[in-house]
Amino acid sequence: MNGALEATLRAVGGPLVAVGRHVFDIYSVFAQVVTALLKGAVRWREVFRQAYLIGNRSLFFITVTLGFLGLISVYQVASQIQRILPDFTMMGPAFIQLMWREFAPTITGLMVATRVGSGIAAEIGSMVVTEQVDALRMCNADPVRYLIVPRTIASAVMLVMLTIYAVLVATLAGMALADVVFDVSPSTFVSLQLVSPRDVALGLVKAFSYGFWIPIVAGQAGLAASGGSAGVGWATTRAVVSSSFAVILLDFIISGIGYAVFNL
Amino acid sequence: MIEFIDIHKSFGPKRVLKGVSLTVDQGQVLYVIGSSGAGKSVLVKHLVGLLRPDSGRIILDGRDVTWLSEAEFYAVRKKCAMVFQNSTLFDSMSILDNVALPYRKHFRLSRDEASRRALDKLALVQMEDAARRFPGDLGDGLRKRVAIARALTLEPEFVIFDEPTTGLDPVAAANVDALIRSLRNDTGVTAIVVSHDLRSIFSVADRIAMIYDGNIRLDGTPQEFRASDDPVVSQFINGRADGPMKI
Ligand SMILES: Nc1ncnc2c1ncn2[C@@H]1O[C@H](COP(=O)(O)OP(=O)(O)OP(=O)(O)O)[C@@H](O)[C@H]1O
Ligand SMILES: [Mg+2]
Repeated sequence: MNGALEATLRAVGGPLVAVGRHVFDIYSVFAQVVTALLKGAVRWREVFRQAYLIGNRSLFFITVTLGFLGLISVYQVASQIQRILPDFTMMGPAFIQLMWREFAPTITGLMVATRVGSGIAAEIGSMVVTEQVDALRMCNADPVRYLIVPRTIASAVMLVMLTIYAVLVATLAGMALADVVFDVSPSTFVSLQLVSPRDVALGLVKAFSYGFWIPIVAGQAGLAASGGSAGVGWATTRAVVSSSFAVILLDFIISGIGYAVFNL
Repeated sequence: MIEFIDIHKSFGPKRVLKGVSLTVDQGQVLYVIGSSGAGKSVLVKHLVGLLRPDSGRIILDGRDVTWLSEAEFYAVRKKCAMVFQNSTLFDSMSILDNVALPYRKHFRLSRDEASRRALDKLALVQMEDAARRFPGDLGDGLRKRVAIARALTLEPEFVIFDEPTTGLDPVAAANVDALIRSLRNDTGVTAIVVSHDLRSIFSVADRIAMIYDGNIRLDGTPQEFRASDDPVVSQFINGRADGPMKI
């Protein structure tokens, strides 16, 4: 009886402890990043290089993904509207509002989490297993400050820009489909009557937070890599899973705060 | 003087060091030998705070450095340099920037001043022509030379070489041996060298320590190693396939 209880506790507790430690490790990287930012110890040259890389790596993905998302969601919504109330005037405005508030930042965030998060973990992870991170520490260069801080700034700024771009792409795709398939004119579709500055702010706050956290989560996975190239593979997988999860979690938290506090 | 006192270190369930004690006197060159995975790199990384022991103490020049904070360790790393096993250079930086980095970080020199001094250091190892190239473009032997130049930028009192001759051709290896010897003779550096290279071991070492199964198996002069009748020691230094060593 006791043995069974112990085994159950162990089976439940083991993963819980592992998750708890993981969250603590991520938090400690976060704290170091914030400390470095407050001290103003930022390598701006590296920030620009990373921003360029992040933009470059994500642009194509985001164009394709958000383009399809625009096509599909307008098609689905318009099909429903057609059956119930064949009036398409509010479809475009509602679509654009939804894009700003939710889909553009979050889908873009997920794309960056996979594409850029995996890259960060692989790069930092291989620096760990080839002792480059140790060498940085020997040179009095703090790995978090040196490697992760520039990426957080670059990715936060780039995610904001990519989100604006994503809204644009999705709207254009949706507009084209609405025009061709459902005969909704572009001037009816593209209307900002439902979009308030608050919606835009909510979307951009989300984008900024995702962008800030992805390199922290992915970078921590990379720094925790051990044991050769297999370790780098594990770190990369973990980075993608954890940073995608972080995006969803942040989405929930920010939406919740937005609703509860700012009545958005 | 460097003292390791009863160092224990495990990674998860794997017990790597099980109570290693070792002393290196001032101006001495100590070679640490042992089979692959014995924990040689793990041991030496404790000295500069890259790893922390589960228990035990590390004394450097009479000061207990075991539990210094990361920030306090920076001062230790200034006087105790390390050349890594993978001749670790930063892939994303030019050779010159690699060597200049310790000047910029430890001494807070400007980029130009650091580069100027780095170029001088590179000239010492005949590598000034490669300054603008990247580590990926260089062969192992040249990378090793740059890594050594970078470690010596700070004119350290203590140097750790982790397998400095592994993967080098015999001439390049002899050059590294000569460099270690001249560091000791001319500048009085105290060095710990991790190595498998029997020829360098017996031509340079003042003392040798062999790690086996998480402990120091034998700690003595090269003569004592040659004369040892411990079957494990003699199997290792004679490079025989059959014998009592567990792999
Ligand atoms: N950060 C780490 N996490 C987990 N295990 C580690 C870590 N570092 C070292 N180990 C393990 O500790 C053991 C000793 O490793 P170490 O690198 O010290 O060996 P070594 O004696 O230097 O061997 P080699 O001659 O191959 O370099 C190995 O089994 C290695 O897998
Ligand atoms: Mg080693």
